[in-house]
Amino acid sequence: MIDNKLAIKILGILNSGGASFSEIYIQKRISNSIRLEDGKIENSNSGFDFGCGLRVWKGESTFYGYVDSIEKDRLIEAAKVLSAAGKSSGTGRILDPGSGLRPARSSYNISISKHPDKMAADSRKDILLNTNRICREYNSKIIQVTAAISDLEEEIYTANSYGNQSSQKVVKVFLSVNAVAGKGREIRTGYKSLARTAGYEVLNGGAVEYAAGEASRIAITMLDAVDAPTGALPVVIGPAFGGVIFHEACGHGLEADAVLKDATVFKDMTGKKIASDIVTAIDDSTLPYHWGSYKFDGEGIPSKKTTLIKDGILVNFIHDLRSSKKLNEEPTGNGRRQSYRHVPIPRMSNTYIAAGSSKKEDLIASVKKGIYAKEFAGGQVDPATGDFVFGISEGYLIENGKVGAPIKGATLIGNGPDILKKIEAVADDIDFAPGFCGKQGQSMANEVGQPTIKISGITVGGTGS
Amino acid sequence: MIAKNSKTDLKRKELIGICKKAAARIPKGSVDQWEVFAARGIENDIEVFNGKIETLSFSDSTGIGIRIFKDHSIGYAYTAVLDENAIEDAIGKAIANSRITKKDPLNYLPTEKDYKYRKDKSNSSQLFNENFLKYTIDQKIGMIVELESMTKKADRRITGISDAMYNDGISEVCILNSNGFSGNYNSTIAMVYINAISRDGEDISTGDYFGIARDPAKMDLEEIAGNAARRSVSILGGKKIKSGKMDIMLDPMVAAQFMGVIASTLNADSVQKGKSLFKYKLGKKIFKIDIDIFDDGTLPDGLASKPFDGEGVIKGKTAVFEEGMLKTFLYDTYTARKDKTLSTGNASRASYRSTPSVGVSNFYISPGKHDRLDMIKLIDRGFYIMDIIGLGSGTNPISGQMSVGAKGLMIEKGSLTHPVKEVTIATDILSFLSGFKMLGNDLKFVPSGGYMGSPSVLIENIAISGI
Repeated sequence: MIDNKLAIKILGILNSGGASFSEIYIQKRISNSIRLEDGKIENSNSGFDFGCGLRVWKGESTFYGYVDSIEKDRLIEAAKVLSAAGKSSGTGRILDPGSGLRPARSSYNISISKHPDKMAADSRKDILLNTNRICREYNSKIIQVTAAISDLEEEIYTANSYGNQSSQKVVKVFLSVNAVAGKGREIRTGYKSLARTAGYEVLNGGAVEYAAGEASRIAITMLDAVDAPTGALPVVIGPAFGGVIFHEACGHGLEADAVLKDATVFKDMTGKKIASDIVTAIDDSTLPYHWGSYKFDGEGIPSKKTTLIKDGILVNFIHDLRSSKKLNEEPTGNGRRQSYRHVPIPRMSNTYIAAGSSKKEDLIASVKKGIYAKEFAGGQVDPATGDFVFGISEGYLIENGKVGAPIKGATLIGNGPDILKKIEAVADDIDFAPGFCGKQGQSMANEVGQPTIKISGITVGGTGS
Repeated sequence: MIAKNSKTDLKRKELIGICKKAAARIPKGSVDQWEVFAARGIENDIEVFNGKIETLSFSDSTGIGIRIFKDHSIGYAYTAVLDENAIEDAIGKAIANSRITKKDPLNYLPTEKDYKYRKDKSNSSQLFNENFLKYTIDQKIGMIVELESMTKKADRRITGISDAMYNDGISEVCILNSNGFSGNYNSTIAMVYINAISRDGEDISTGDYFGIARDPAKMDLEEIAGNAARRSVSILGGKKIKSGKMDIMLDPMVAAQFMGVIASTLNADSVQKGKSLFKYKLGKKIFKIDIDIFDDGTLPDGLASKPFDGEGVIKGKTAVFEEGMLKTFLYDTYTARKDKTLSTGNASRASYRSTPSVGVSNFYISPGKHDRLDMIKLIDRGFYIMDIIGLGSGTNPISGQMSVGAKGLMIEKGSLTHPVKEVTIATDILSFLSGFKMLGNDLKFVPSGGYMGSPSVLIENIAISGI
């Protein structure tokens, strides 16, 4: 994408102003999105982004700028402006053009069989029309279906003044189905998404049928929902998207930028017990084809599997380059960025609670009065206090050890450190689910995961008794 | 490009030139109508920590989006790269995309016949503030460093600041279409945000506040620091309360966020597709009290004010609720034609990367007469909500269900007593609105989707879940 010689020249200009580190990030992105509603294709859009982000460190400060181009003259001009930013604190290391850049290696290697650019014009449309048909045929009470596909193909190049260089190609495909069911004046919704760091092959083999069926099933089931209860109750949280509880209750608090700002409840807790003994939690950006996986992170560091919590003990935080330097820790390959327009920050990739040995049936059977929370609409956390919420989109009452009536959407609210200790059982049925996570204005592809777990008590935000 | 400082030469003609050049490349025989949307943003983001710059970013970025109409089908493509090949490629993709989207006889560019509002000369001039250009990077850094320091000093229990951010931008938008519409406008905006961490023994709390202005000089840093500190320390020592129903008093910042959810259900597109609980409510009384709610795209200080919307339709002031009654939905051209009415100028466009769709502008509840403290005096047992969490995951604008986390202060016999945290409030949108009992005189706007505004609101009988 860019000549290594030019990269070295730009890094030299960037470092000439006294920077301790400089970096070039180039990204080319070709994207498509198509959306169906009311049985028809509403939009079909295509996009092209190609540009370069430049970054320098001077003292404690990061300076960042970007250009929507990779023309040599514009990059050099931008590098000159950036190298003059901030106050100089000595001379940075200038790379020797003769020694070149070291290409980084990653063990993450996957093959893509159906590239988005090889898709016939009508094939995306046909997938959506099929999705719509499956939902409508599921039940006549399905009154609206919104289905969308987006795909992207990227080429990413990084080079930095440490002499490291990385290149990677990325393909991602995302399908979402939102079914709306109506009965009288009652309206309920069901949502299911399918997203992989892969080509269109992921939509083969019944995947579309499954997503459409699940969205419809949830919407229809929720038509008969009763009011959710109030107060603190035992809650059994289903696999896959249930992992959003760990993502919010703990994951964000382990992103090390919060440690640097003394804005996480988990600061100074390394080596200490922060969760029940049965909890082991992992961030793994190397899981092949998963939505949060990559070959290199946004700073050219290879993807990695990092154990965050081992048998209840906090062992690692989630780092970008800056936090790992400042805290003297090994990089974890979690410096992620939305695009060349954004500064990398520590972000989770595929984050999950590892499988335990209990059985889901036993977890449910052990609850006299509580909730079985199966699907979720997402969540939010305040990492400084650990207070978090997450919204149930498909949940049921548990009465005398049996799953009962569906409940209307309710939020679960708790405090991270408190809830981690209340994880009473972990089942063996681990699964994953994709989503988008927003932080500091940057949206990233993230995956959450867990087996079925049981929390001994958490506040359920319903309206019933 | 990277801007050296904010004294950037704006070259206003440039965007129109880009639009015209792109338009000239559209093969007129292959399309019936076309539109080119160009946007340029010159931005500065500054984050400070302990008085030092943590991150400073500059950007100056321009992109275009091309929308074409062929046989009443629409195709779209954008490019952030403005060389000839990239523009040609985008045009080709837009045309190809039009071959797969639905045909609808109502799909054609707006003409003046679609406009509900006419051009208002007083509009647009307030969007761009000349003072903005006088601010140097160092002044901006100084401003946020000062805000961070003031907030830390505001109360001895403040132990840290997790976010101290300044960002600003000059933006220019230009639309050119084959119906002869050609328009552009510039705007300036500066924003500061601060989040204060306070501690008392083992207990930790956070409180945030922000300032937004067209002119950075208009920001009252002392007030922002004081509010962030107060919001943080006043909840220290908060505890759960027993579950039950009680009256709630929403702080304007909280009420305004809820208005964002309400506004999204009043969009004609959702209504026409059966995804809004207001579908059968037009002309009906939704509130028990006489309350007026406006969507006003011409509000002088409104951040969402613009001379025209995302498809070039003139913006205006729309009374969505009058005396508690639902009067109209919000329309773009397509949905207006479908309902045989006129566009309210609500085609919104997040950037050149997306097609226009129905959205809100400055959406607000007209304030009442009551002083906040007088309203609290009327409450025998209630909950004054100062902050909410999980609005996105806890509200479903289609089904109307709402359940969100809340923190604030307990109200007993007309007085604020102890702090409350880790509880939820739950209801459904229609019950929530019909429970509105009294409005304060303290209208406040927050950026939440559009630019949402509300005074303090007293609402009857809401379910609280705690212990």
